[in-house]
Amino acid sequence: SALPLNTSSAEGDAIKVCVRVRPPSEGTALGNEHQGLCLSVLSSKTIRLHSKPEPKIFTFDYVANMETTQESVFSTVAKNIVESCMNGYNGTIFAYGQTGSGKTFTMMGPSESGNFTHSLRGVIPRSFEYLFFLIEREKEKAGNGKSFLCKCSFIEIYNEQIFDLLDSASAGLFLREHINKGVFVDGAVEQVLSSAAEAYQVLSMGWRNRRVASTSMNRESSRSHAVFTVTVESMEKTNEVVNIRSSLLNLVDLAGSERQKDTHTAGMRLKEAGNINRSLSCLSQVMTALVDIGNGKQRHVCYRDSKLTFLLRDSLGGNAKTCIIANVHPGSRCFGETLSTLNFAQRAKLIKNKAVVNEDTQGNVR
Amino acid sequence: MAAVGGCGWAGVCEKFRTARTLSTVESRKDPETDPYRSKYSARALLQEVKQLLSAAEEGDEARLLAVRRAVLEYELGVNHTDTEELSAGEEHLQRCMQLLEPHRLSPDCVSLYIQAQNNLGILWSERDKIKTAQTYLESAEALYNQYMKEDGNPPLDPSEHFMAEEEKLTDQERSKRFEKAYTHTLYYLAQVYQHLEMIEKAAQYCHTTLKRQLEYCGYHPVEWALNAATLSQYYLSKQCFMESRHCLAAASVVFSQAGQVPSAEDNETDQDQQDLRQRKAEIARCWIKYCLNLLQSAQKLLEDNIGELDPDRQLELKAQRKKEEDEKEKGRKKAVLFGMSDICDSVLAMEEKVSSVYPLDFQEAREIFLVGQNYVQEAKEFFQVDGYVTDHIEIVQDHSALFKVLAFFEEDYERRCKMHKRRIDMLEPICSELNPQYYLLISRQLQFELADTYYKMMDLKVAIGNRLEELDSHTIKKINSLAQFAIKYYELFLDSLRNPDKVFPEVLKEDVLRPAMVAKFHIARLYGKLITSDSKKQLENMQTSLEYYTFLVDYCEKYPDAVRAIETELELSKEMVGLLPTKMERLRAKLSPFI
Repeated sequence: SALPLNTSSAEGDAIKVCVRVRPPSEGTALGNEHQGLCLSVLSSKTIRLHSKPEPKIFTFDYVANMETTQESVFSTVAKNIVESCMNGYNGTIFAYGQTGSGKTFTMMGPSESGNFTHSLRGVIPRSFEYLFFLIEREKEKAGNGKSFLCKCSFIEIYNEQIFDLLDSASAGLFLREHINKGVFVDGAVEQVLSSAAEAYQVLSMGWRNRRVASTSMNRESSRSHAVFTVTVESMEKTNEVVNIRSSLLNLVDLAGSERQKDTHTAGMRLKEAGNINRSLSCLSQVMTALVDIGNGKQRHVCYRDSKLTFLLRDSLGGNAKTCIIANVHPGSRCFGETLSTLNFAQRAKLIKNKAVVNEDTQGNVR
Repeated sequence: MAAVGGCGWAGVCEKFRTARTLSTVESRKDPETDPYRSKYSARALLQEVKQLLSAAEEGDEARLLAVRRAVLEYELGVNHTDTEELSAGEEHLQRCMQLLEPHRLSPDCVSLYIQAQNNLGILWSERDKIKTAQTYLESAEALYNQYMKEDGNPPLDPSEHFMAEEEKLTDQERSKRFEKAYTHTLYYLAQVYQHLEMIEKAAQYCHTTLKRQLEYCGYHPVEWALNAATLSQYYLSKQCFMESRHCLAAASVVFSQAGQVPSAEDNETDQDQQDLRQRKAEIARCWIKYCLNLLQSAQKLLEDNIGELDPDRQLELKAQRKKEEDEKEKGRKKAVLFGMSDICDSVLAMEEKVSSVYPLDFQEAREIFLVGQNYVQEAKEFFQVDGYVTDHIEIVQDHSALFKVLAFFEEDYERRCKMHKRRIDMLEPICSELNPQYYLLISRQLQFELADTYYKMMDLKVAIGNRLEELDSHTIKKINSLAQFAIKYYELFLDSLRNPDKVFPEVLKEDVLRPAMVAKFHIARLYGKLITSDSKKQLENMQTSLEYYTFLVDYCEKYPDAVRAIETELELSKEMVGLLPTKMERLRAKLSPFI
């Protein structure tokens, strides 16, 4: 018989899933036409969706209501991941949700600010600060014995093609795997970082290169997935032994989930529209597949990886700590999309590793 | 024809046509920063046409007017859903259906009605309301069937309602478009059933969709081939080998056609070539799984309770197969086939290259093995370790699995041992190079498989040795070294469970519980099997063995939930924990008789 083998390490359980409800805003189509709220936050872990006839209750690891501050989202969600990154684990933080649900605000902060010290800055700048704070502290503790090297890359996946946001002149890049280094984007620029401020500079420079689009639904809607990766390498010398540890921190801003269309649908129109978010629909497909394999039969699935899931395959069930922040807009016009976001988030909670160790006992006990 | 506003019917048609061109052709060229520019212009035009129509007098042409309005509502509905305004899109599509409701079975409405339902199905699936999507799509399916039964003439295409008489389509074109809309219905239904976990139904609809695509030539060969190959993998999991093989053979044939046709512009980039090679390798991998599953299923049928080939069972199955073959001659087989005459022969020829019935002896197994091995080589040509680590290793693992199952059919122990050695030779170098930080899962799989293979080889050597009068030193050395290697890999596997501070987990996760326990149990047994003439060494080995057995017993005492996973192993461990100390005591007494 073949057994599923969970590889999430030590205490690192399945993926943590948090939901954040943004306050309804003026000025967007969503805000203006909003006539009531389609959900209420019941506690720090539960949310009620006013569906008919029966309301639905969802439970998550953490629910942030409209008043929750950026600081508290960061400390509940991301702090722990940054810490494990220092301990040699890979970590990933995803933001998921409909266009206009507050992903960018959560991850980056208010777009107009451009200021790294802004009080409303989001998860990514706060992660930088914390990461470099921890590095400094480690250095002080260890004296000369320990040194760190931080590098970052910033890419975007648009239409299943990879572009380097740190080198806007570059053509499409490819994903490859190295037996010792794992998955990497071949040819992506890697920039060395020495401080949080520097990291933020690189980030905001790359952010300006992203593909955005205006629709009547939202004045700025992201068409691509953006992945900011920080590699942290530490080198520790004790006596003559050099101990090198390396880990990755991926910060991911996904394209709007409402455009998640099935890519394999026939017909030009759908394919045309669907291709934009192929990665996203594959993401949920991969999740479904991860959840419901398990009859032990070996098979090969021809369309398995989108670029995004391939790049982050480690985060979706490797030795990594992963958190998904599902953003929702509470307006009643967003009911459908909110429901689908919450359903997605619920599914994400079920992800476990399903790699199989072939372990047949028959014939062994003799 | 009633006068329509001040603009004239020709003007209306012109506007409508422009709107359609905008949204289907122009919109593809819209800039990334303004992706819906053409769609928004198309929308404005459609609204204008709607205004013009509502200004028209209603009279004896009420029905005609209603149908035209329905076409506009439909176009507006699609336009809104395309631009992410689902709620508005839904309203338009609903209005379209209301207008058509009384006439939905007539040739000028049926196609539009079906397409409106298709779109509502998609719209609701985007809201994650699959059940609602299902009702629309199933009703579209029913409408198609009813129409084909009651009328069956090629119906009007929706776009024809805004065309001058002389531009109208031919019956052949009408039929083509209508069938295409219905193929879409089936394809969406296939997805709906998949989401609803009605897997069998989903597979059936996929199959029908593929078949219709082939019939109506509405397919992209590479995509079609991949779909067929994927479907074959579904049939594999259901152990329907004949269907699985048919899908794969069709996939290979259709794919090879794609390779032959020079592309329209003939400016294929390297990327396209690369893609094509990858697809080919993917199909090869599906074939590998086919061979592997067929062999493994046959093994399951043939093995006795200790996993050896059961000769009685083998005779029984051979007799049964003979009987079935005779019956088949009479009844002919009734499989679902992609029955297009021009590819049919090639598919049949392809199918003949590998069997779809269970192999019952070494010779038959070997033939399937060889086919599988050829596909391993083909797949490896593309999925090389440099750049495709995971895929490459998965293929090597399949290759190893092919050898493993072939070994089951081999009666000669020495030769069987050599087959396992081949597995070691392919797995060991990869395992040592792989970085577990990024490939933890595969790394563990390889460690476990290597351990298991050494363990098997040791067992085989012991069995060979038992046939001899006396164990020679060469065999002893061999047995001990195999056992040591098995221990090494089990230990590596167990080490991979440790946290970064090298601590073994207090509680094992459900998913690693059994492999970890089996590893511990096998290590205990391996220490018991090590052969040495040095009594002190023997005592040490027994002590180590006892420690591992004790781990199992203690763990299960502390966490009784674990018992279920390893019942047999636990029972044996308890027995050993009872026996070993006495044995050791006796050995100790022999060692120092004077104390």
